Amino acid sequence: MSAVLQNLVNQPYKHGFVTDIEADIAPKGLNEDIIRLISSKKSEPEWLLAFRLEAYRKWLDMAEPAWQNVKYPKINFQDISYYSAPKPKKKLASMDEVDPELLRTFEKLGVPMHERAALAGVAVDVIFDSVSVATTYKEKLAEVGIIFCSISEAVQKYPELIRQYLGTVVPPGDNYYAALNSAVFTDGSFCFIPKGVKCPMDLSTYFRINTEESGQFERTLIIAEEGASVSYLEGCTAPRFDTNQLHAAVVELVALDDADIKYSTVQNWYAGDENGIGGIYNFVTKRGLAKGRNSRISWTQVETGSAITWKYPSCILRGENSVGEFYSVAVTNHHQQADTGTKMIHIGPNTRSTIVSKGISAGQSNSSYRGLVRIAPTARNARNYSQCDSMLIGSHCGAHTFPYIQVQNESAQVEHEASTSRIGEDQLFYFAQRGIGAEEAVSMIINGFCKEVFQQLPLEFAVEATKLLSFKLEGSVG
Amino acid sequence: MNTVARDDYLERLIESWKKEISPARSIPYLDQLRANALGRVELLRLPTIRDEEWRFTDISSLRNTPFPRASAVASTDLDDQRVDAFLDETACKLVFIDGQYMPGLSNLATDDDSITVCSLSELTTGARAHIAEQYLGQLASFQENVFVALNTALMHEGVCIVVSADAAVKVPLHILYISSSKDVAAYPRCLLIAEMGARVTLVEEYVALHEGVSLTNAVMEVYVMDSASVNHVRVQHESQQAFHIANSFAQVAKAAHYDSLNLALGARISRFDERITLAGENAECEVDGLALIADRQLADTHTFIDHALPYGKSRQLHKCIVDGNAHGVFSGKIMVRPHAQLTDARQLNRSLLLSDKARMDTKPQLEIFADDVKCAHGATVGQLDKESLFYLQSRGLAEVAARNLLTYAFGGEIIDRVVVPSLKRRLEEYILARTRIG
Repeated sequence: MSAVLQNLVNQPYKHGFVTDIEADIAPKGLNEDIIRLISSKKSEPEWLLAFRLEAYRKWLDMAEPAWQNVKYPKINFQDISYYSAPKPKKKLASMDEVDPELLRTFEKLGVPMHERAALAGVAVDVIFDSVSVATTYKEKLAEVGIIFCSISEAVQKYPELIRQYLGTVVPPGDNYYAALNSAVFTDGSFCFIPKGVKCPMDLSTYFRINTEESGQFERTLIIAEEGASVSYLEGCTAPRFDTNQLHAAVVELVALDDADIKYSTVQNWYAGDENGIGGIYNFVTKRGLAKGRNSRISWTQVETGSAITWKYPSCILRGENSVGEFYSVAVTNHHQQADTGTKMIHIGPNTRSTIVSKGISAGQSNSSYRGLVRIAPTARNARNYSQCDSMLIGSHCGAHTFPYIQVQNESAQVEHEASTSRIGEDQLFYFAQRGIGAEEAVSMIINGFCKEVFQQLPLEFAVEATKLLSFKLEGSVG
Repeated sequence: MNTVARDDYLERLIESWKKEISPARSIPYLDQLRANALGRVELLRLPTIRDEEWRFTDISSLRNTPFPRASAVASTDLDDQRVDAFLDETACKLVFIDGQYMPGLSNLATDDDSITVCSLSELTTGARAHIAEQYLGQLASFQENVFVALNTALMHEGVCIVVSADAAVKVPLHILYISSSKDVAAYPRCLLIAEMGARVTLVEEYVALHEGVSLTNAVMEVYVMDSASVNHVRVQHESQQAFHIANSFAQVAKAAHYDSLNLALGARISRFDERITLAGENAECEVDGLALIADRQLADTHTFIDHALPYGKSRQLHKCIVDGNAHGVFSGKIMVRPHAQLTDARQLNRSLLLSDKARMDTKPQLEIFADDVKCAHGATVGQLDKESLFYLQSRGLAEVAARNLLTYAFGGEIIDRVVVPSLKRRLEEYILARTRIG
């Protein structure tokens, strides 16, 4: 490995700082009392408490899964604080009232909210350690009938909608971490696009984990009614800590007839230092239900952070002619581990899905693509195309591909292809003779490799993702 | 496969065998190996669909039949002619009936003294004595695999073939396993050693003379030494009710070449596990397969190609033609170890579903730990191409004829790779007959 390239990757985490905000923390441990405490703190209706308790009881009966291709010390679920909220303050009416400390944090991240909001017209629902402290552009969205708020607020204001949809895509007993999330989720986003409405702006949320040793259990629910469409952006950066933090979020999407949901993620949580100490455990369940005819669900993700990334954004294609898409870039460096991919469950006739997954491994990291394409007997003329490419940088990392293809219908067409490549000396030499240095060359090659995915991202995210990748991999190629 | 409390089925099997497992033979190593394997069987259980490697293949119906091992073969009314119908230009034919070696039907007499063929129990004297210790059971690990353990515990009449260094055997060796009666289990075992620079073609064929339930649990170990070349063709054509479980292990040394071609045509449930280790630099393998199944058949192929050293090359093409209510399963893993730089691996799985009830599960996997490699895999599942059908119809072929022709052509790509002309002809006729519907 050439020295120039070696230097490129080993850059310290650029977003490592702790914001000093007093948090209201529940005692460590998990039991029914804690769940009742969370529920009462959030003044939730009785049915939601019952939902949480049911999930908790299911969770108790479940075993921690061990089939994934990642290794980590056993998590002590009793050593986590399940609730932490910034000190209750009076509701904020404008950006000026937001804690200046918080604003400074965003400043450091390079995404000044006001600027971003004004320039890009993005409404940012800020999730800061489990409780929503500022919501902007709500009125503007409300004009066209869109509900965009924190899920706690939605529970208070629109209980019938929450009750109708919560847990319908990811049932409380779906898997170990989804059950845990259903029992203890503290906040998250809720988005409802009514019939026929095209959301006038990209919706976005920032997730940050701030209080040390507090797991975050976000719950996101997005519903697009008949003919509605929405593009939702989720971006994450987190300060550096030495203790592993558990993040077990659940995201549910429901698309009715002719609805279109596009969900994009840029994830750059703290990945641990170069020796693999610390970092976030990101165990997420994301699933979309394309319930109606001609509905479409599209997942785009750029996963660069977290010590362990373990998620499979999935599409259940139930409606006739529904479409599922998954575009992913997963970058791992040092001792990071990623086991990610998607599930495309074709149930309705003429359903189509596309999977494009790009994995880049450097250092001693391991990245796996694990995917499932299932064509049910009812899914006549279903069509799937999957492509997963891996790039290895250095000889101590690993890349793995585990696609499952299950076809029970002769009229289906399923294709899967995967390849592995690396940045060769010859490519770098070619760039060098054209006067382009190694660092820039690597960045260009990586961007070319990921192009198909970046094209799916909304513009400002595409810019951020490109930057993120370059500094994640600075110094690892050779 | 986990080790859990004793498995009833296996326990009963072991009980019934304990009586017949012969006491100490003259080769201590073999006895020890068998005893170890039997000990391991007692700790294992039959896999279920809860085991990842068996999740698509439900063999619980195996428990319904006790499958006594064939004792002395009753019917030897098979004559040379009947046997010869299966064989053609062979230098050397080895015939087994229900797992028992049939010296009368076999023909070991070759004018080629570069091949040594003997029964495992003959690995006792002289130069052969070390073979058992050095090779037998070295590749076929039975620690986790209950079927290999069962086979090892029961092997006695297996065959050992040694092709001496630099010999080029022109005519193929043919091993014919005949299942003659139903409700019987056979545990064939074969060890093939191709010494440095040797070249040999081996045909391994499984046929049945009945339509009933039977069980074959076969284990094959192949050593391809430096610069040697082995062409291994395997034809499984058991009764439509049979269980066929086979494990094949090959170790390919420096600059050696191993060609493996597996045809799964018969059996109610067949499972073929193939593990190939490219254990020398510049080792190469070509692994091809065709499963042609219909009705309620299930054909499961698991392959594992392990690139352990640099400059290895592997090519794999596996095809499935699934008709009726049949269920095809393919799981192919390519592993590239940390130092296996400049590996070139390519894998393709193509499946053709011909009926609404047909089902295909496929899982091509890559595990790569070296950066300077070329690895690619692909999988497709689909039906006959409509454009091709239309083209043939526009040229005057009836739709049925066009379908048959395209189906035949799909399988023909694999059959074309059979290097033994007479076997190829026989298989072509068979595939043509099978694909002739309507």
